[in-house]
Amino acid sequence: MSIKDYRGDVEKCCRCSCCKFIPLQKVKGSKYSYACPSIAKYNFNAYSGGGRLLSMYSMLKGEMDYSEKLKEITYNCNMCGACGVSCNYAMDMQVNEPISEFRVESVKDGQTHPALEKVIEGLRKTNSMVPVKGKRGDWAAGLNLKNAAQEQVDVLFHVGCKTSFDPKMHKLAQATAKILQKAGVNFGIAGDVEVCCGGRAYQMGYEEDARSQAKKNMALIKKAGVKTVVTGCADGYQAFKVLYDKFGVKGDLEVLHISEYIDMLMKEGKLKLTQKVNMTVTYHDPCNLGRKGESYKHWKGVRKPGNRFMFDPPKDYRRGEHGVYQPPRDVLASIPGLTLSEMTRIKEYAWCCGSGGGVSESNPEFAMWTGKERIEEALSTGAEAIVTTCPWCEKNFKEAIMASGSKLKVYDIVELVEKAI
Amino acid sequence: MFLSPEVYKKFEDIVGEENICGDLAIMPSYHSGQIGAVVLPKDTEQVQAIVKLCNRLNIQFTVMSTGFIRAAMPQGCIYLDMRRMNKIIEINEKDMYAVVEPYVTSAELQAELMKRGLNCSIKGSGAQCTAIIRGHGHMDLSTGGDDRNQLGMEWVTPAGDVLKLGALGSTHEWFCGDGPGPSLRGVISGRGSGDALAEGGVITKAAMKLYHWPGPAAFELEGQSPNYNLKEIPPNFMVRYYSFPSVPQMYEAELKIGESEIMFALMGFNVAMLSANISPNMEMELEVIEKLNKEVQGPGFYVIVAANSPEEFEYDQKVLDKIISDTGGKSLAMVEDPKVGALVLIHGVRISVSIRETFRLRPVGGKAYGFQIMGQRDVNIKWIDEAANRKKELIKKGLGADDGGVYFGWSVENSHLGKTEIFFDPSPHPESLDAIIDWQQTTARKALEDHLNPPTHLPLSVVGPEVSNYHIWSKKLDEAFNPNGTTVVLPSLMG
Repeated sequence: MSIKDYRGDVEKCCRCSCCKFIPLQKVKGSKYSYACPSIAKYNFNAYSGGGRLLSMYSMLKGEMDYSEKLKEITYNCNMCGACGVSCNYAMDMQVNEPISEFRVESVKDGQTHPALEKVIEGLRKTNSMVPVKGKRGDWAAGLNLKNAAQEQVDVLFHVGCKTSFDPKMHKLAQATAKILQKAGVNFGIAGDVEVCCGGRAYQMGYEEDARSQAKKNMALIKKAGVKTVVTGCADGYQAFKVLYDKFGVKGDLEVLHISEYIDMLMKEGKLKLTQKVNMTVTYHDPCNLGRKGESYKHWKGVRKPGNRFMFDPPKDYRRGEHGVYQPPRDVLASIPGLTLSEMTRIKEYAWCCGSGGGVSESNPEFAMWTGKERIEEALSTGAEAIVTTCPWCEKNFKEAIMASGSKLKVYDIVELVEKAI
Repeated sequence: MFLSPEVYKKFEDIVGEENICGDLAIMPSYHSGQIGAVVLPKDTEQVQAIVKLCNRLNIQFTVMSTGFIRAAMPQGCIYLDMRRMNKIIEINEKDMYAVVEPYVTSAELQAELMKRGLNCSIKGSGAQCTAIIRGHGHMDLSTGGDDRNQLGMEWVTPAGDVLKLGALGSTHEWFCGDGPGPSLRGVISGRGSGDALAEGGVITKAAMKLYHWPGPAAFELEGQSPNYNLKEIPPNFMVRYYSFPSVPQMYEAELKIGESEIMFALMGFNVAMLSANISPNMEMELEVIEKLNKEVQGPGFYVIVAANSPEEFEYDQKVLDKIISDTGGKSLAMVEDPKVGALVLIHGVRISVSIRETFRLRPVGGKAYGFQIMGQRDVNIKWIDEAANRKKELIKKGLGADDGGVYFGWSVENSHLGKTEIFFDPSPHPESLDAIIDWQQTTARKALEDHLNPPTHLPLSVVGPEVSNYHIWSKKLDEAFNPNGTTVVLPSLMG
């Protein structure tokens, strides 16, 4: 694909500004009505979803070329997909796909960001998106877990770079392992041979590197003979489920996020949450588990003749409707003593944590600003903790909380489930 | 960069480094043409300083808030993007007005108002647009429309003076647009088709009239986008769509409903627009249109009853039933389904947005050819009916996209006033666009000849002599308020 393939979509933008706000029915007042962190922070229209499409349109018409400013705009986007959800409430056109494709094309054309280049160089050398400290499987020391590369297992637990190499995040993987053990799941990890999913590389625009990681992971999965992958990271979930499908390598692999899997195990009676966790929490939907986590929709067809932007066969647009929203909420609702107090912006129109799209690497100040906005919204619910289901969100929230001096706590859902079993 | 570094620095000194950009990379997201710089003022003082500087340097400027559709801009102009002026300053429940800055959206304001049992007019461009835009919307029957809802205002004139208009001109209150104090309503928002922000100068604060809201403090929704719907239609609310055997019968029903003062909203959607609002995608929209076309007996409208009590609701229903029976109306079964009725309700009240119905089926930038006319409802129905007949003739020849020749319109302020609109999309025929532009011109000239309405698709010099030499007076006003010609009025950009 190239942005030329999205000409019909980008020229359809009517600059209505819906992409800047959460869906209008959901607006509850003058606070928390904005959807897109990029336009909310930088204000100029070029930073909005529609503005990005109009810039692409201008490039396609040959009226504009790459520039330093355009590059700055391009990389100051969390790739969170909120603009697409708001647009696609009313419009039948692709929004997130051309924005993503523009990044890919920018990278191909050498319009890269030095901070992201550095991350990708690291990925190519170490198969990790974060600096490697120790070994990938160090977190599992003493847990006596099966190695999926050597033993037959039903489920592969893909831990992910952030949780594997950040010692502060090891507890998430350890909690997940304990939960799966408690439920009697025959699972294993890939340990030191696990590699990065490639999802964040794709968000940054490095499609070839993402494809390379996809091939490595699928080769490992094929060799291990597992039919189900459970991820503890929302980015990993989106990569295995959506991106690999888009790349045509997923096959019939079942991909579940740990929050979905816990919900499933509970509903099958294999896991019971009995211990009280007396706490009021709010839940943050990670973009890659929510709106960007809905299945990829393969389509091949042609535009119908005439002046309508319609296709044969019809395109089934990904509007964020089928992300993973209810399972984590059902899990939280099953924890005795725990109360869920929702934020204004939730589910498909949730505000991003700030760490996506390479922003935490290319512009940490913007990532922090976005995170602080979310923390403020979380505090407005009266909750004492914000729960999420992605280590990248957790990291960004913790940094935002530290910077803002808030007392809000941050948990991954597995930490609360571990407390409750 | 279009501006010289010295000039750029002067604007930068007003708004700060982060709030000005003259880079070419941001321009296509605003408008075509080479804008000098986009500036983001934070308050009236900054707006005034920018406007004064533009006058001093003889640089043209224009202003936009939430915006809609792109247009060509004069080279080198300064573009005021009002994004940072986004505060609701006051909601005065007693005197029923809200004072807002230009980037407060109707959705935000209405959500705050509903918590207080109040409502505001939302324009047809949508609830995502600025709350202070002049225009018409789906609740016009009970909230009125256009500049009726603009009360006291703070206006930075094209020359850079700050004027306080209406009651604000002589008191600290915003309750009235026409006094005690200077009323320039006709000057700043009554001319031509431009909107309240761009008619000349910059409106920096405006009080908007508020109305009683008999519904819940917030609607309870279910489902995920694009399938949000109300969990249920609130008590004492009802939604129906009625079709009629003829336009005169439809209009008779409109008038009677208006005169009886029973109705919260009445919107004369054709079935295509109704279908767009209740369908989550284009394919379903076209299927529903086909289905509805078989069921309706002619033109029609949807209504929303919103009563304060069961007794009032019962009365409203009885009166409505009698009017519909007397005028030969027929209720559309699909909308009687509470789920479908709820969709019409949420779209009519909370979204009031033209995007699905106006832009989803259009391929490029929502570009629409057509008319919108406001005035005496029976007169503009007559005009639009004629325009529709000419449109149908072109459709038969393949010179326009076939939508059956539809138009739509609605009553304003309990029915004697009204707004009517008609769109016409080109077909693949190579002469289609020329034919449609000719259709616009012909229809406009006919409106002028028959004294139906001063059309906006003809030059002011042609229209002016027919309406008290309006073009001469308009020029005098320009000379008085815009002496240096610095304001650029963006045409019909909806805020």
